[in-house]
Amino acid sequence: MIRVEHLTKRFGGRVAVDDLSFEVKKGEVVGFLGPNGAGKTTTMRILSCFLPPTGGSASIAGYDVVREALDVRYCVGYMPESVPLYMEMRVNEYLRFRARLKGLRGRRVESRLDDVLASCSLESCYNRIIGHLSKGYRQRVGLADALIHEPDVLILDEPSIGLDPNQIRHIRHLIRGLGGRYTVLLSSHILPEVESVCDRILIINHGRIVASEATSDMLGLMRGNRNIIVEAKGPAAQIREGLEALDPVVRVSSTQVGQWERCVCECTNDSDVRTEIFDLARMHGWVLRELTMNQANLEDIFVAMTEGGER
Amino acid sequence: MRTLLILWRRELMTSFLSPVAYVTMSTYLFVAGWTFLQAVEANSGQQEMPETLLFVSVFFWLPLFVTSITMRLFAEEKRSGTIESLMTAPITDLQVVLGKYLGAFCFLIFAAVPAMGIAYLLQWLSPGIDSMDGGCMLGGLLIFLVISGFCIAIGLLASLLTRNQIVAAIACFCAICFPFLIRSAGSSLPFGTDRVLEYLSADTHIVDFSRGSIDTRPLVLYLSGTCFLLFTAIKVLESRRWR
Repeated sequence: MIRVEHLTKRFGGRVAVDDLSFEVKKGEVVGFLGPNGAGKTTTMRILSCFLPPTGGSASIAGYDVVREALDVRYCVGYMPESVPLYMEMRVNEYLRFRARLKGLRGRRVESRLDDVLASCSLESCYNRIIGHLSKGYRQRVGLADALIHEPDVLILDEPSIGLDPNQIRHIRHLIRGLGGRYTVLLSSHILPEVESVCDRILIINHGRIVASEATSDMLGLMRGNRNIIVEAKGPAAQIREGLEALDPVVRVSSTQVGQWERCVCECTNDSDVRTEIFDLARMHGWVLRELTMNQANLEDIFVAMTEGGER
Repeated sequence: MRTLLILWRRELMTSFLSPVAYVTMSTYLFVAGWTFLQAVEANSGQQEMPETLLFVSVFFWLPLFVTSITMRLFAEEKRSGTIESLMTAPITDLQVVLGKYLGAFCFLIFAAVPAMGIAYLLQWLSPGIDSMDGGCMLGGLLIFLVISGFCIAIGLLASLLTRNQIVAAIACFCAICFPFLIRSAGSSLPFGTDRVLEYLSADTHIVDFSRGSIDTRPLVLYLSGTCFLLFTAIKVLESRRWR
């Protein structure tokens, strides 16, 4: 549905997007991650035909974003970052205006208006002036605008930026409901959101893709040593030596927390020695308060992939 | 065409939704009417036609009025970021520019044409004044619309070049004042350009047209100028693709 090949965008001497290539299949929800200035918004602006690329090509539903820009715009629902809206208009006036601008006519305008108001929970705001709405509701109006002409592809630039946790949960729920019906490309800084909403994650840094995996496979990218945290009460030296004696443990660093000995055991790849540690504790009569394995999460992967991202 | 109408309607609606628009409209009507009455009093007993006095009074405030209408056209969209939503909708740059231009032009007609009624009001209140000459009124109205259209195109281009409404307003005001000031500037130059500058000067055209002398040359000048400015505006809007 979205095909990007060797896409490049330069602003003067600065390269914002550098030889970017990726593909998004129909019905997929893809998260676009990257530090500030990585080129996410620029890529989204190119895909929504607001900016042309300097090099390479991009197509949506088979239409080229440069040569067939008008066709692409009919296929794309774009929600820009910070959701710019006409503050003096009422919600229904604005959505009708946008629907007509996007080619809907007659009864179709009203039926689509009813649909998007219901799907974005905006019925109560039907007649309210946009400037008087809270940020969360404005965000929904922006999403309703992107959805109103039933586009094949939704491009959402930071859809939950600046929202409170309840509003984020609502928007997340809404976007999750769009998967399957629409092809969604969304950028976000909220990593749990991407993890919970997206089927696939693209991590971009310095304008280049550094990782592109299904969300479930993304965690597998973070290989290397694992940490097991042990907090136990007992003779400190005995605990440390006991842990160091375990075969997969490479290194143990320990600190005293009151009467408790807190040890971080660095283990070799994929080894889980929690059972052995529990047996050890039982054998020596240590009291165990914590036994946790630190697994890599999306944040670790993001940091690892984009470290030194500021240019 | 339908898209153009949608954009035009929104532009016109925005003008009428803003309280600033009503303040501008009523202020314009008041100051133009007051200037006309002062001009009539100052010229009592002289041969000056009331139609000419009316159109000179109406034109005197035109730069300020057009500036207040046009400064927000694109500058506001750029400042608030709505230009991004607008330009990613399936519409062309030509439709955007024409929609905004026609919206501002129609608002000006709604707001300024009632000012022409001041002359009839004066005639109704003062039986001593001769009836207004229909030809002169029509000529004055024609040049008023053509020059206003030209000035709105200047304002639209100025608004497109910046995201700051104040900068747009200053640029627009200075550019609009130029055709009004050109003759007095030209008369003091030493190289005999005064005839050329007189031909280009707006106040000469206003006086001629409001006396019923309709000449097609100024019409061509202003209409072609308007087309050129709108063409430039479309190219400026397109220029984001070259950068």
